[in-house]
Amino acid sequence: MDNPIEAKGLTRVFGDLVAVNSINLSINEGEVFGFLGPNGAGKSTAVRMLTTLLKPSGGSAKVAGYDVASEASMVRKKIGVALQDAAIDPLMTGNELLKLQAVLHGITRQDAKIRCPELLERVGLTAAGDKRVGTYSGGMRRRLDLALSLVHRPKVLFLDEPTTGLDPTSRVALWEEVRTLNKEIGTTVFLTTQYLEEADQLAQRIAIIDNGQIVREGSPAALKSDVGAPTLRVDVVDSDFEIAKQVMTELGEERPARKGRIAIGLTGGTRAITVVLKALEDQNIEVQHVELDEPSLDDVFADATGRRLEGGGDT
Amino acid sequence: MIRQPQAWAPTLFFPLLLAAVYSSQFSKAVSLPEFPYPDVTFLDFILPACVIQGVLFGSTNSATDLAGDIENAFMDRLLSSPVSRSSILIARLTSAFSYGLVQATILILVFFAFGAELSGGIRSALALILITSFLSMGVGSFLIAIALKTGSQEVVNSLFPVIFVFIFISSAFFPVELMDGWYGQIAEWNPLTWIIDWTRVITIEGFSWKVLLQAFSVIALISLAGIATSIRQLKRRLAMAS
Amino acid sequence: MTSLSSYWSNQWLITAAITKRGLLRMRRLPSLLIPSIIMPIFFVIAFSGSFSSVVQLDGYDTNKAVNWMAAWAILQGSAFSGLGGGGLTATDLENGFFDRLRAAPITPASLIAGLVGYSITRATLPTTAVLIVSFGVLDADMPGGILGFVIAYFTAIAIAAVMSLFVLGIVFKMKTLKSLAVAQVVMFSMMFLSVGQAPLEAIEGWLYHVAKYNPITHVIRMGRQGFLGDVTWAGTQPGLISIALLMAGAGIWARGCYRKVDI
Repeated sequence: MDNPIEAKGLTRVFGDLVAVNSINLSINEGEVFGFLGPNGAGKSTAVRMLTTLLKPSGGSAKVAGYDVASEASMVRKKIGVALQDAAIDPLMTGNELLKLQAVLHGITRQDAKIRCPELLERVGLTAAGDKRVGTYSGGMRRRLDLALSLVHRPKVLFLDEPTTGLDPTSRVALWEEVRTLNKEIGTTVFLTTQYLEEADQLAQRIAIIDNGQIVREGSPAALKSDVGAPTLRVDVVDSDFEIAKQVMTELGEERPARKGRIAIGLTGGTRAITVVLKALEDQNIEVQHVELDEPSLDDVFADATGRRLEGGGDT
Repeated sequence: MIRQPQAWAPTLFFPLLLAAVYSSQFSKAVSLPEFPYPDVTFLDFILPACVIQGVLFGSTNSATDLAGDIENAFMDRLLSSPVSRSSILIARLTSAFSYGLVQATILILVFFAFGAELSGGIRSALALILITSFLSMGVGSFLIAIALKTGSQEVVNSLFPVIFVFIFISSAFFPVELMDGWYGQIAEWNPLTWIIDWTRVITIEGFSWKVLLQAFSVIALISLAGIATSIRQLKRRLAMAS
Repeated sequence: MTSLSSYWSNQWLITAAITKRGLLRMRRLPSLLIPSIIMPIFFVIAFSGSFSSVVQLDGYDTNKAVNWMAAWAILQGSAFSGLGGGGLTATDLENGFFDRLRAAPITPASLIAGLVGYSITRATLPTTAVLIVSFGVLDADMPGGILGFVIAYFTAIAIAAVMSLFVLGIVFKMKTLKSLAVAQVVMFSMMFLSVGQAPLEAIEGWLYHVAKYNPITHVIRMGRQGFLGDVTWAGTQPGLISIALLMAGAGIWARGCYRKVDI
């Protein structure tokens, strides 16, 4: 059985601009895959190619076992797509849109009668189903968009920046929904995002894309640990500062810290904290404050591109 | 203005298309009994009307721009700057006038190229240009009042058909003498019919100060009413802003 | 065999659903609809009123201007209704809804057919409105009887379908609402350069030759015959052939331009 998404050397050129530059992807069945990158990195272009909305200029991709260029209509049957900006007709009601989507995917009227209310309930829009989408909030639109993309029980779900512009509460609610979908039904999810936290929270594996190229790929934990050891920061009373610093720098490389604080790179995982604290205790040093900072995805991004991601302060 | 060809290109294209089509479709109409000018071509007959029609269609542009400024709050910035209040109005009226001037001149030149004739020569041509540009300003002032009242480009644009109706139910494309019943009666009452008929006297029979004065007196009345309404709406908007 | 027939019934359902969506939007956004009904009503009144005397000239074959102008107003209204599917598509392209349609497993033909279906359904409204005003207010005649009405409706729908395909092509190519202005200019020029307002006998100069070979001329003659006299095969056949050719041409054009949506 093929992987649900396979891309080899997938490339898209607009005039002189190489929007997506020869990317390779291999996404496993039942996985939530995060495609992380800043605005204009090529995320949407890649998704549009994978969802058959845009023809690749080079390379190839198979989605659900079918080629996106030569077997587009087969791909379309197998995938669900929730596009950026939730392109939803504001004059129609949620129910009407669901019914239209059902017809477009060849679902019989009898099936649609059961399926549509079921989906509305799933995304918590039963009460709003007969209201025009123009009256929906941003969060409601995204949830409807999600329901629309699920009408035909797709094998692979594409979510293009599903929470961009949403308030934190709606964002968390949508994450919960995606998690449930993935867990209960086993839908493979391909998610693009510019939010580090979103990728961190949802994705089992992520790829970081910058200037059309994939610069890092792996599980969030592995990517973070590749960047380096976490930072241990310790505050002590002033009189103990020099001794404490001596003790600690023997246990790990010194890292920059603010005045009155000692920071070292800590190898050996969380267990190593005990070693440091024990050593300080042996010297009779009173520890006032301890913190351990894992490298964030932002650090991963910075390490890969030399830049910080906008909104990196999220984590 | 030059940057937005889609705004003015149709206002040149449609009058020319209509003139071209009507002058060959209704060329035989001059032979109808009661046709007021049996000795001219139909092109000469509809020339002043086509110029006026093109200019009136264009007269929405200035008001649309104003409504756009109100929509995107450019107006508020203008009002908070030390620009004098009356100059806002004067600038729009001048723009409507000069717009008409340029457009009328272009249209007349094109008509000449296609063999139209003006019996009064250059004086008649100038009279036609002035009548249309002042008319453009007069009608424009009403549109500006509506732009100030509603602040909506959509509303101003939707007035386009109203202008169309005014032009159609007038002597623009056919003499009122040859229209039947109630339709002809309404056309006779339409001030646009008077202005077009007077303009026709000047372009077909020859230049006359008396007729020019008649035309200008009606245009002046329209303009005064329009400008007075605009001033009232501008004051209302200023009162709202403060 | 079953799968083939279910495929076709499926495509038909998709076409119907797209038509239905257009009509639903039209009902909810009357500002889209009202001008396309008011305008042809005004046309029949204005053309019949302004040019009430031209029917005295040779070639009109009627003594009332409304008998000549009603068909003209109906077909103008139909052409305008033909903008419906294109307008909807331009809106969808601008706000991204069109991607939703494209991401679904539907054929371009069923999508285009659905949009044409919307346009031609719309066209029946101005046609009916013009007929009501023509007979109720302007005292029009229909010597061609019931068949005259049938052929008038048929022609109205056919023009709406042709124009709709033509406009869709332009919208697929340009992908903006502004493209409708371009479509409108071309569309109305085609309509004006025909026997819409005057018979060939009355037209002189270059326009005579253009109108004579403009296929729209035959179509308008077909739709107008019931207002002037009996509906005959001789009066219908050239119109039918023209419509068939126009439909084929506009269909190929629209389908060809659809490829432009995939960049």
